[in-house]
Amino acid sequence: MNHLYLKGIEKGYYHSDSDSFELNIPQLTIQEGELFALLGPSGCGKTTLLKVVAGLLEPDRGEVWLGDQTISKIPTEKRGLGMVFQQALLFPHMTVEANVAFGLKMQGISKGVRLEKAKSMLKAVGLSGFGDRFPAELSGGQQQRVSLARALVTCPQVLLLDEPFSSLDPELREEMRDLLKGLQQDYKLTTLLVTHDVNEAFVLADKIGIMKQGRIMQIDQPQILYENPNSPEIAMFLGAKNVIYGQLSQGVFQSGSFKLAVPGKEEFNQQPGWIVLRSENLKLCPVPASTKFSQINRDLILRGSVEKSVFSQGSYHVTVQMDSQSVILSFPADQSSKPGLGEVLELTYDPQALVFIPEY
Amino acid sequence: MWQNSKPYWLVLPTVSVIVILFFGGLVEGLAHSLGYFPAAGQLDFSTRAYHKLLSSKDFWLSLWLTLRISFLATLFSGILGMGISLFFLRNQQRKSRIGLWLQGLMNLPLVIPHFVGAYIIVLMFMQSGYLARILYGFGLIQQFEAFPVLTNDPRGWGIILAYTWKEAPFIALMIYPVLKNIYSNWLEVAKVYGAKPWQFFIEVVVPLLLPAWTSSCFIVFDFTFSAFEVPYLLGITYPQMLPVLSYTLYTNGGWERMPEAMAINVVLTLITALLGIMAYKLSRRWGMPGGKS
Repeated sequence: MNHLYLKGIEKGYYHSDSDSFELNIPQLTIQEGELFALLGPSGCGKTTLLKVVAGLLEPDRGEVWLGDQTISKIPTEKRGLGMVFQQALLFPHMTVEANVAFGLKMQGISKGVRLEKAKSMLKAVGLSGFGDRFPAELSGGQQQRVSLARALVTCPQVLLLDEPFSSLDPELREEMRDLLKGLQQDYKLTTLLVTHDVNEAFVLADKIGIMKQGRIMQIDQPQILYENPNSPEIAMFLGAKNVIYGQLSQGVFQSGSFKLAVPGKEEFNQQPGWIVLRSENLKLCPVPASTKFSQINRDLILRGSVEKSVFSQGSYHVTVQMDSQSVILSFPADQSSKPGLGEVLELTYDPQALVFIPEY
Repeated sequence: MWQNSKPYWLVLPTVSVIVILFFGGLVEGLAHSLGYFPAAGQLDFSTRAYHKLLSSKDFWLSLWLTLRISFLATLFSGILGMGISLFFLRNQQRKSRIGLWLQGLMNLPLVIPHFVGAYIIVLMFMQSGYLARILYGFGLIQQFEAFPVLTNDPRGWGIILAYTWKEAPFIALMIYPVLKNIYSNWLEVAKVYGAKPWQFFIEVVVPLLLPAWTSSCFIVFDFTFSAFEVPYLLGITYPQMLPVLSYTLYTNGGWERMPEAMAINVVLTLITALLGIMAYKLSRRWGMPGGKS
């Protein structure tokens, strides 16, 4: 059993009252073979947590368990982990093959065997024939592949990934994600990935933990997390543009004069909280709602004037001001011409896709 | 036109001084070594001084002594410099007050001139020096003569001591940034993949540090090889290190020995240049992918 279990991990850095940081993880379990992503903004403590797991940082309190034994007192070099860092950090004086075989050499494996394993691992990451080169002769993406091969060749009990693709360009990043996902599934590796890239976490992870200021705010499968964020901060971090504070009463959410029908939430009465109205949930009405041809329920119509309109990557991102509230919607550019400033738009939304986060 | 040539005119005074003093000195020294001494009425060129020098036992003894002292001083300061640099690194991680104080103390030789350093060595290590007095005071030696001869000794230990003390912090300072870079970049990686501290040192630190360490050592060797004041203060009258022999021949040997003195300087320059080229080639070889390290 190679599941990873963290229990009561605490680690603090105290510089001054305004500049102190505390990592506090009461418990966290990563199942065997699972790819778990810790997702959070820079400085939230995710790399600190990763280093605690690796043994590179000693926690003030708490234990790290691997399977049914604690590894808290075991030094890093004996933990049997693999790690890929933000930068490839290959040893510049060693060939690619020697870099990949480094961990095996440290384990005392004979030269012939370790070079053979290094060769086959290089093949697995698509770098056959690159063994005799030096890191400086490789591109950034190739270097990170070698780094991945170096991590996998020792058959680690847990693979730790510290924003491994953040220094690569977007196209290469996507290619590396596919490679990583494939290898992780092939080798059934228990993997802990830390990243600030929401897309990366959603593409790769079986489960995601959202971190903020040293604490894990919510853990769940990507889709569940996206559909049911338990705080407005998480909703916004996961990309929701319209998170509006107001009050929900008998199926109607109200924020000032802005109203939304929220059917199925009639149990709430004068409950303050946030409504998450995703920009992809907002749609332009194809026919003016006032005409008799319109099939749209009039309770689900929002009307407002265009305040800002931006074209980006095939879509318009439009800010519409309605009563006291402005909302952002996105729609493909081929559905309509670019809305002009001040133009009045009619929007509709799917009430079932609204998420209400009560304030307690 | 003026705009294009302006930078050249601006650096001309500095370049002129360097060319006249440095290259002019070299050319004049070479001419003197070849017997061209207009002041003494010698206007012919000949290689007589070089023949005489190369067939002289004194020259070869001095050359051997100079090489030996330079090599040992470089070796000791190279090892000590590496140790000091590792101490700086450890100290930087722990940030202890005593460590910082010691670090300052270790850097002190950098600001002390060589001849003052040599004088300090004399005061500390001569047979009636402070160290001998302390040992005598503690009853560890029964008489001052029991203290080993470390200054003005035939093997040049005083000179080696002075240069080791003076150059070790220089080497430490030269390799410290490289060492810091190695530790901050690759220590964690090596640890994760199972390297113990000594394995990290052997497998990663030594090969990556070698180019910077070698370059620093070559600088120290070249400096020690051609320096004058320390061997003049701490050496003996026979055999002398080459720069001192050259000075002695020039000042005490009369007109007929001056070309020999200058020939010694030319030989020193050639050996130093040769070592410089070697150091450059080696650092290029080690610095390039596929290099020896």
